[in-house]
Amino acid sequence: MYITKLLTMRESIVIEGLSKYYDGFLALDKLSLKIKKNEDVALLGPNGAGKTTTLKLLCGLLRPSAGTAYINGVNVMEERERAISMVGTILETPEFYPFLTPVETLSYLGRLREMSGRELKSRIEEVIKLVRLEEWAKVKIEKFSRGMKQRLALAQALLHDPPILILDEPALGLDPRGMMEVREILKKARKEKTVFLSSHLITEVVQVCDKVALIDHGHLLVYDSIPRLKRKYRTSLEGVYLKLTEATI
Amino acid sequence: MSEFEKLKIVTKYELLKQFRRKRFYGALVLTLLAVILVIALYKGLDIPGKLPISDSPEFFALFVTSAGATIPIFAAVFFAGDSIASEFEHKTGYILFPNPVKRSTLVIGKYIACLTVTALIVILAYVATMIALVGIYQQLPIEVFGSLVLALVYANSVLGIAFLYSSVLKGSMGATIATLLTIMLVFGVIEISLIFANIEPWFMHGYAGDSIASVYGISFAAFGGAMPGGGMERNPNPITSFFVMLGYFIVPFILSIWLVKRREML
Repeated sequence: MYITKLLTMRESIVIEGLSKYYDGFLALDKLSLKIKKNEDVALLGPNGAGKTTTLKLLCGLLRPSAGTAYINGVNVMEERERAISMVGTILETPEFYPFLTPVETLSYLGRLREMSGRELKSRIEEVIKLVRLEEWAKVKIEKFSRGMKQRLALAQALLHDPPILILDEPALGLDPRGMMEVREILKKARKEKTVFLSSHLITEVVQVCDKVALIDHGHLLVYDSIPRLKRKYRTSLEGVYLKLTEATI
Repeated sequence: MSEFEKLKIVTKYELLKQFRRKRFYGALVLTLLAVILVIALYKGLDIPGKLPISDSPEFFALFVTSAGATIPIFAAVFFAGDSIASEFEHKTGYILFPNPVKRSTLVIGKYIACLTVTALIVILAYVATMIALVGIYQQLPIEVFGSLVLALVYANSVLGIAFLYSSVLKGSMGATIATLLTIMLVFGVIEISLIFANIEPWFMHGYAGDSIASVYGISFAAFGGAMPGGGMERNPNPITSFFVMLGYFIVPFILSIWLVKRREML
């Protein structure tokens, strides 16, 4: 057990033979993946490939049918709270409590993540500034557009300065400027954090990530660095994506 | 940070959410109007004059608080129906659940917040009744306080049932309707059937809830008319009823925690 723990601690994220069935439908089939510390990996794949399922399993929101996952050496299935404390997440289209303001929401989440006092207050100001929601900081979220909620989702993911970010389509719903800003934030974060994100935006992936895991029908098709994939398939990342998922289109 | 500290945080923000909702203030106003209406009907229609019983503060309190016995049901269902289900239905769970806090802590925090707002509604109904009692009779029967305690325990039992449905069902509306149907229809039908079969339904939710009125010690025969089941009186023992209602809270609430811990964010 200790050997497993030691081995899994060298990586930020370890996924071992993770499978998930939804009422008999196989959404993820024995997925195994290792993401080293400060590595930035994109999970690519067509709709229904199993990307969101993978991220939800990693965050303990789903129970796997088989396999397990570790975050910084902590088994997500056995010690969910401890594992998740090291992660900042955006999953699916984020929704917030409409009657609370961003400051109240971030205070709530920050307190749950064991932040308090001046540290929490200044960090809230910092992340709100980072996602450019200063003018909306004390407005009830019920008045927010989808893009603004997405910005707030990014703020809450970064709030406790976690070493790992797990992001499901982080730029979804944002206008071109918002998408660019998110990319810039992630490019800064990648220097000191492990980023594991799912995206349909190849341009975003190329700018933010070092490696790509391409999955389809729950199967891992390829997992390698972007330059190596380009060399191997003699095409752009988009070309690699189209070539490997060709059979399913 | 201990789970207890986290529980305090969850409760604080769940309460903030409840107090920010218009439904809380709507429920306060409706409760007050309902109590005023019952008092007006009692006096305006001269209810004691139509029954073989003389007017008294106890009878007045019994009439007003038992006529308003649905207040704890609606208050509890109003606040608890969507407490868990909405996290899944409105996807707010994607922000709340990936945090280092046990789901049981989240459920208990939500419950405490729901209980607090429900209790405020029930207490308001009783305070209005007490003010009327002092104003009309210049007396405040001690039984009113016993009735209030039982009403709070009754509301708590409704919360337990509402939490159970909210943990199982996908939608908040479904959970609310299912709770109301269970309490007012399913339990009601079983209870009436038992009474017709000459079995005292002391273990039934609604019958135990009648202790809110029986605590005044006034015979239900005072209301006149034959009782179903050959004249069996609905006169539940307040102490037994207290524990029965506690059971109707504990069992569904524990089940609710267990279900939420297992429930997946699909």
